[in-house]
Amino acid sequence: MAKLLLKNLYKRYENKKRKKGEALNAFAVNNFSLECEDGEFIGILGPSGCGKTTTLRMIAGLEDITDGEIIIGDTVVNNVAPHNRGIGLAFEDYALYPPLTVYENIAFNLRAKHVKNEIIKAEINRIAPLLKVDDLLHMKPGKLSGGQKQRVNIARAIVRKPQLLLLDEPMSHLDGKMRQVLRTEIKRLHNEIMCTTIIVTHDQLEAMSLVDKLAIMKDGELQQYGTPFEVYDNPVNEFVAGFIGEPPMNILTVEVQKKESSFFFKFQDANILIPVPQRFYSVVQDGMLVRLGVRPTDVLIVGEDSKGSDVSISVFENLGEERKISFRVGEGFLTLITSDDKRYKQGDIVKLEVKSEKTHLFDVKTGEKIIAQ
Amino acid sequence: MMKNRLMDLLKNVSAYTVICLYSIFAIFPLIWLVIISFKSDTQMYNTTFIFTPTLDNYKIVLFEGADYIQAFINNIIVSGGAVLLSLLVGVPAAYAFARYNFAKKEDLAFTILSFKFAPEILVILPLFMIYQKIGLYDTYFGLIWVYQLITLPLLIWVLRGYFEEISVEVEQAANLDGYPWYSVFWKILVPLIKPGLVASSLLAFIFAWNSFTFPLLLSGFQIETVTVAALRYIGSDTVHYGQMAVAAAVAALPEVVLALIIQKHLVRGLSFGAVKG
Repeated sequence: MAKLLLKNLYKRYENKKRKKGEALNAFAVNNFSLECEDGEFIGILGPSGCGKTTTLRMIAGLEDITDGEIIIGDTVVNNVAPHNRGIGLAFEDYALYPPLTVYENIAFNLRAKHVKNEIIKAEINRIAPLLKVDDLLHMKPGKLSGGQKQRVNIARAIVRKPQLLLLDEPMSHLDGKMRQVLRTEIKRLHNEIMCTTIIVTHDQLEAMSLVDKLAIMKDGELQQYGTPFEVYDNPVNEFVAGFIGEPPMNILTVEVQKKESSFFFKFQDANILIPVPQRFYSVVQDGMLVRLGVRPTDVLIVGEDSKGSDVSISVFENLGEERKISFRVGEGFLTLITSDDKRYKQGDIVKLEVKSEKTHLFDVKTGEKIIAQ
Repeated sequence: MMKNRLMDLLKNVSAYTVICLYSIFAIFPLIWLVIISFKSDTQMYNTTFIFTPTLDNYKIVLFEGADYIQAFINNIIVSGGAVLLSLLVGVPAAYAFARYNFAKKEDLAFTILSFKFAPEILVILPLFMIYQKIGLYDTYFGLIWVYQLITLPLLIWVLRGYFEEISVEVEQAANLDGYPWYSVFWKILVPLIKPGLVASSLLAFIFAWNSFTFPLLLSGFQIETVTVAALRYIGSDTVHYGQMAVAAAVAALPEVVLALIIQKHLVRGLSFGAVKG
């Protein structure tokens, strides 16, 4: 186990076919810094192509870094060979050795280190039940299901007792049920071995449920780093706000209107008025356009005697345990999630209220959060 | 129910009829060859299937003139040598084409493939003159060298596909495990490309074995191969078809035996990737 420190990491892929005068490729990872404490479980989350796997591969030593420093424990490992970094890596596509049995796949690293057969056997007997692969040891990878392959993949990564365990989208090829099972097992495994772990994923539910801290990436840049609660409750910009949460946060352009001494948010092309919370009074002014963010769970259908706005339901979806109701607002939708059993149909008029204390404001141009004074 | 059974029966009968007809069409030349090999010259033209079989042709070809056996050995040496050299050069080349990006990669790969397109007769004259000059004419190495035009493109192109199919992450995983590249190559990659390796090596061997133009013009009496040696049975006044048939049958024997032994690999090796979506 060890602490991990990434200092101003950059990665730019060289364009070998670049013509003279043509611009260099953009940075795949751009000034990425992150500190991970000993034994912590960190998630790197972002859309496809945001640089998260590249970052992981740079930590593992499978990609050269363009600039910056990677420190594992107390050692700068920029120029250390991958197998000397004390890393266990579970690949996205499993990367098991097809000609070898599960036993030999797990033992492969120990054999490279010339560990005695008895010790290898003891280690595998310790690891295999942890990952529930003890019945599969005699089988070859071709006979295993996706979930079994991933367990073997992780077993192979942890048998070497790594200082740092790296998991590259470990559940991306699994079906929904298997994802849930493996997610629980990864969490249990981390609690048992308490190895500093970094998981790369584009699935925010997976990340939120597993990790101690989340790093959100976009276009190679770190957007926000914090606990899942911090990131969920206090997103630093519109991207993070929209990326975290399922269904995603409603983010719509609204106009600030002043009526007497009070401010209201008025949705464009819709007759919905929401009182501006007092904490935003110092940063808003009459006629100002802002991006208003509100989670679907913070939009409520209220009784007739409430102050809310009357709106017409556009889509009603029964999701089993909860209901998703969408209202047309301009070109977009305002969505709410409720556990109320009441059934609605398209065109029903309901009174809508928003938990104003849970709203977020973002700058229309930059997407950055407008911080209340 | 009855109608369905009748339909199934009809389907089976027609399928087996087609298979039988094709088998006769495919095997008949070989049967004809074997029949001729047991005929004496005097019965060659005046009998078809009813004749007095003789082993004289086999005696003459295999025992009385030792040259044919020598040609057979020569063929094994040059064809086997050509395949070995191709493996030595072709496997790393195929790996490089599959894994690395370098300038003009596809052009180079196509150039190697184009060796197979060029008619042998087109390049044979300049090669003949070069070989005479540099002393490669009528040598084992000379033929092994020129056979690379036949064997190398095949090996490289088949194996390149195999290497491309192997996830690069498998190699990276092995590197992370602490194995040097040559261990990764032997322990992991070679077992994975084995079907392609076997199939392409066998095909390359057969193509080299059957080569006629190159050994005819680039070797003399020292390194004569079976395809060229078979010409001996054409005299100035007569053609000894029986002896030629023996020579051809004996020459085909190693190919048939090899193909039968590694049939499983051959089918798998050559059909690999054929059903990719």
